[in-house]
Amino acid sequence: MFDSLVAANILQRPVRALVSVAGVALGVCLVMLFTGLARGMSNDLERRSSNMRAEILFTRPGSKELMTSTVNLSTRYVEELERIAGVEAAVPVIRYISQGSRGFGIEQVEGVEWAPYAAMNGMRLIEGRAPEGNNEVVIDETKARNNRVGVGGEIQIFGNRAYRVVGVYSPESGARIKMSLAAMQDALETPNKCSYVLVKCRDANEQRVIAERIDAALPGNKIQFTNELVLNIEKSIPYLGVFLRTLVGLAAVVSALVVMLAMYTTITERTREIGVLKALGASRGYIISVIEKEALLISFLGLVIGFAVSFIAGHLIHRTYGLVFEYGWSWALTAAAIGLGGGALGALYPAMRAAGLDPVSALSYE
Amino acid sequence: MRTILKAENLQKTYRVGSVDVHALRGVSLDVEEGDFLAIMGPSGCGKSTLLHLFGGLLTPTAGRIVIDDEDLTAATDAQRTDIRRRKIGFVFQRFNLFPTLSADGNLRLAERIHAGSNGAGNAERRREVLTLLQLEDKMHHKPLEMSGGEQQRVALARAVVTSPAIILADEPTGNLDTENSAIVLNMFQEMNYRFNQTIIMITHNPEAAAMCRRIIQMRDGQIVAPNVVVQI
Repeated sequence: MFDSLVAANILQRPVRALVSVAGVALGVCLVMLFTGLARGMSNDLERRSSNMRAEILFTRPGSKELMTSTVNLSTRYVEELERIAGVEAAVPVIRYISQGSRGFGIEQVEGVEWAPYAAMNGMRLIEGRAPEGNNEVVIDETKARNNRVGVGGEIQIFGNRAYRVVGVYSPESGARIKMSLAAMQDALETPNKCSYVLVKCRDANEQRVIAERIDAALPGNKIQFTNELVLNIEKSIPYLGVFLRTLVGLAAVVSALVVMLAMYTTITERTREIGVLKALGASRGYIISVIEKEALLISFLGLVIGFAVSFIAGHLIHRTYGLVFEYGWSWALTAAAIGLGGGALGALYPAMRAAGLDPVSALSYE
Repeated sequence: MRTILKAENLQKTYRVGSVDVHALRGVSLDVEEGDFLAIMGPSGCGKSTLLHLFGGLLTPTAGRIVIDDEDLTAATDAQRTDIRRRKIGFVFQRFNLFPTLSADGNLRLAERIHAGSNGAGNAERRREVLTLLQLEDKMHHKPLEMSGGEQQRVALARAVVTSPAIILADEPTGNLDTENSAIVLNMFQEMNYRFNQTIIMITHNPEAAAMCRRIIQMRDGQIVAPNVVVQI
């Protein structure tokens, strides 16, 4: 139970207490928002990738899996792939990655031949029609909902070039915006080229045998199984894990520094009171515990506010920019440990300094 | 009569730059249980140093202090703190109450420190002490909501609520007007007479000293008039 001295001390300087609480909350927010975004984007990517029904992805060496924007594969491979025994269909795809239209995050656009692509991946248009002209796109229902745009609306791709939405499809799979392959080739000036070819096998159980046949027939290319492409984004983006851990460390430092600064000024301000505590017979442990309890109470409030702000900010960012936030227990516990641990650690030095004060000097402190 | 405090040949030397300042030059003193002793003397004569030594806030350069059968000078810093917690109550000139706590809160804090991990305070005892000091209607007031005299009475209440073996008061009326000084001194006297509370009080005020049972005079770090008994 926090004794009344702790609560009274916090209430005595409400602004300073609030700044300290905000500092801890900031650290918690940093951890929650960044890890929530990484997890949300990763899971979103996984969900969309898992809707892909093709078993094999055929690319040129040097292409970067699902995060590629390289368009260096000739579409003549499509016919050659379709001739290989066991291959049911082969569909060329261009994937283009650009900065998000609202200047935040990334946006992917795919160029596909709609009919074979949709047939291969079990997709259907729930509204409108397939893209045909060079300025037409279809979007998935999530994009339509987040951007509040439907058939007849416009979206901008490749900088400020306007594209008309002619259809909305479901389920979400791959990029949320799709145009015709020809339109994409025209826009990127890459005629007869694509990023990769999706290969659907007649029998999914034979995908490894068919992959060996493809490799034998078309050597020197890269063959990947789509079920192995559904990678965690943390593994897809180099050093993301390091970045997140660094961020967590920085958040801990921010929390600890803010609390340390607040408690340090508190100790200086209350030097005489600490002298009185010593005169009353308070032990070093008691004085340290009073200061640590104050820091923990501040940290706990910061933790609660940090969590609340993270959830609200995540919701608002999702509504505004369509970015997906998913919060995990492990990162929430990490944030809690950082908030409380950083606060307790930050208060330790001022607390020990207070406990070590000379009582006579403290009592005469002005 | 039992000796509550025994000081033998106390010396205290401060090092100020390269100069040794001899604050105490061999002070010996016995204080019996139930005594109410005034220490007088000019500024800088070593009164406060002596009181801080008795309270275990300072350690002597030489000499020995025994409080209620416990040798303060042989104790470690932690042990001195523990002796202070169990046996000594302080009253300061500037009251030194916790401004964020009510009168009752200040007393509860002293009780909590006194009790250590052994338990909570005694609400009945707090009420009894506050009533005795005529503060029952100020229990929930904070120090800034009280007069100086009331604050000092709360400080006295804080010192006695844990039933210490001895109260050390450092010019308790130094910041009070005549009327409030008289009230506070009466309270000290009441504590001494009714509860046999042992008190050592530093004062510059002869009228305050006259309310004690005996007076010692100090000068230049020594006791020059060791035992003036006041006729009451």
